[in-house]
Amino acid sequence: MVDRIDDAWIARGVRRAPFSRFLLWAAPWAVLLALGAYAIFLCLRDGLYHTNMDNRYVFGLWIFLDLAVIALGAGAFFTGFLLYVLRKSELRAVINSAVVIGLVCYSGAILILAVDVGQPLRAWFTFYHPNVHSMLTEVTFCITCYLTVLLIEYVPILLKNRRLKMKPSMLVFEYNLHKVMVVFALIGTLLSFFHQGSLGGLFGVLRGRPFAFREGLLIWPSTFFLFVLSAMAAGPSFMALTTWMAEKITRRRLVKDEVYQTLGRISGKLLLAYVFFKSLDTLLWINRTAPERGFPAHRFYEYGGAFGTWILFAEIALLGLLPALLLLKPEWRARRGLLITGAAMACLGVTLNRFVFTIQTLALPTLPFDRLLLYWPSWQEFAAFGFVLAYGMLVYSFSYRYLRLFPQERELAMAEAKR
Amino acid sequence: MFPWVYGFEWHPGYLIFLGVFFTVAVVVAGTVLVALWRSFRTIYKKQEGRVYWHTAFEELTPEERRCRHAITGELPEHCCDREFDCRGCRMHARLLHSGEGRGGAMAPELAEVCGLSVPPDRYYHRGHTWVREGEDGVLLVGIDDLGSRLLGSDGAVQLPPPGTELRVNEPAFCARRNGVEARILSPVDGTVEGPAGDGEALIRVRPAAGFSTVHLLRGREAVAWMRHELDRLQIALAASCGAATLADGGAVAEDLGRCLPPRDFDTACGLAFLDV
Repeated sequence: MVDRIDDAWIARGVRRAPFSRFLLWAAPWAVLLALGAYAIFLCLRDGLYHTNMDNRYVFGLWIFLDLAVIALGAGAFFTGFLLYVLRKSELRAVINSAVVIGLVCYSGAILILAVDVGQPLRAWFTFYHPNVHSMLTEVTFCITCYLTVLLIEYVPILLKNRRLKMKPSMLVFEYNLHKVMVVFALIGTLLSFFHQGSLGGLFGVLRGRPFAFREGLLIWPSTFFLFVLSAMAAGPSFMALTTWMAEKITRRRLVKDEVYQTLGRISGKLLLAYVFFKSLDTLLWINRTAPERGFPAHRFYEYGGAFGTWILFAEIALLGLLPALLLLKPEWRARRGLLITGAAMACLGVTLNRFVFTIQTLALPTLPFDRLLLYWPSWQEFAAFGFVLAYGMLVYSFSYRYLRLFPQERELAMAEAKR
Repeated sequence: MFPWVYGFEWHPGYLIFLGVFFTVAVVVAGTVLVALWRSFRTIYKKQEGRVYWHTAFEELTPEERRCRHAITGELPEHCCDREFDCRGCRMHARLLHSGEGRGGAMAPELAEVCGLSVPPDRYYHRGHTWVREGEDGVLLVGIDDLGSRLLGSDGAVQLPPPGTELRVNEPAFCARRNGVEARILSPVDGTVEGPAGDGEALIRVRPAAGFSTVHLLRGREAVAWMRHELDRLQIALAASCGAATLADGGAVAEDLGRCLPPRDFDTACGLAFLDV
């Protein structure tokens, strides 16, 4: 009986696991969600003393992972831009999935920010008392606007659900909303561009932190542009990676090979450009910016361990140049294993970059009597992030089950059966 | 200018930042309003059916969108981009003109595909309905043999009430069996006069001015299409649940719908009636 009701919500012509198995898959995520909800409740009720952040470590796990998911979630805006503006029509196969991933990443990031800032009932103060000279204001405005755009982009996907589209008004609204989607794609690009940039700019303007401070163009430090470029490079890789993971978990082919190739090629080119500019920026920082602030660059890496020079090498060469080459060379890209390895390395690279700017920046001493400060998150911090992870997995799983996230799935299943 | 922003100053920083922000907010809200207004207009003009078919056609696979001339082998691999409405298709007109593109008459023994009858006295629509000229210029519309066997004797077809305006490729009937619902497309433009009551046909339709059968299949072309439809059905069912196929021949069961497991039946209905 339950299966019959469930089937009525699943798109025609696609196969899904029995409802009981789906519940088994969702159950652990629901437990993690509940644990995270409890941790969030504690933080909102009592304040940040539940975390291991303090006046020195004002940015911790939450901000690091926020920056990372927002960079990876850039696949949403960039895929929309490639499809609707640059007319890369083969990416239509992953655009719905990109929107869901973008929505999950951005809404999750906002949620964690709300917990970090606290007093969510006063969130509207940001809009009523905007400090237009603050990068954080730009971040807040962009992130809320872009979340609104992502929600609007999610509506047509939702309204195409089998049961919902039976209502003519829903289908008509979905159709008309879809026709104006290019406007949202452009706005999303603008907002996400400035948002990624502002996040990078936040670190580049930290004059009191020579490890992060960068010179730049007019009011924008170089990190503004590097954050945008790195997110654009990692976004398509993350799309390829998540699609591949969905294929492995569901044991179904969801997109054609050309989609992987396009995502890999675009990601590879942008990653190479990023590595080039990042290297230039690093050289400039080592030879001019840092010494001018009174810190020869080698002093930042004297502490060894987690913050040694290896981290710079890993960020630029191991997780930048190497995946760029893997994704660029057609013969390597044609092998699925190498393509996915390259995509995973690109995603790790951008995550490491956000780690360096968030955690390493705050760990390093800036005054002669300071010492290296190490930080380990509390269980509440881990659990709150677990909440976002579980929420993302559940939203994506439900979307995959009941919505058409991969329009090529039916065609590929038929082609397989024909063989 | 921005009276609601606390502490606003006439400073370029404020103007640029808030100007961009409010422009974005206005464009987002305006675009949603445009979509809502267009939706209201579509519903007011009763054009939901057109939207329905446009959306459904977009979701068909290239194999399902195959041109009728690709099925008969005249234009191999050609996909239809006109939503199965051949009335304005230049390619179709050219093939018709050259005498290649019509099935033409056929021998009675050809009017059967794996036990499915394809009577030559009617025109077939790609959504498994047919139309035949009746008395007084009225058209009789029904569901073809494959569609009927899917719905079986216990399938309920909800007929449109008399006076309903039908348009080609827009939903005409709603069929239901075992909790599965499928919308069945109209093969013609016209006005419903009432139930046909002749056993085979479902409704009588008064054709609209300029009635044409150019988009419908007939004769050998209809037989080739029916064979293609059976192939498609078998492949889809194999993809769905690995159902048995007719690789070594045989005939389609009288009550096909009853023979299929619920999920396969659902898939088959969507496939046959182009309701994906």
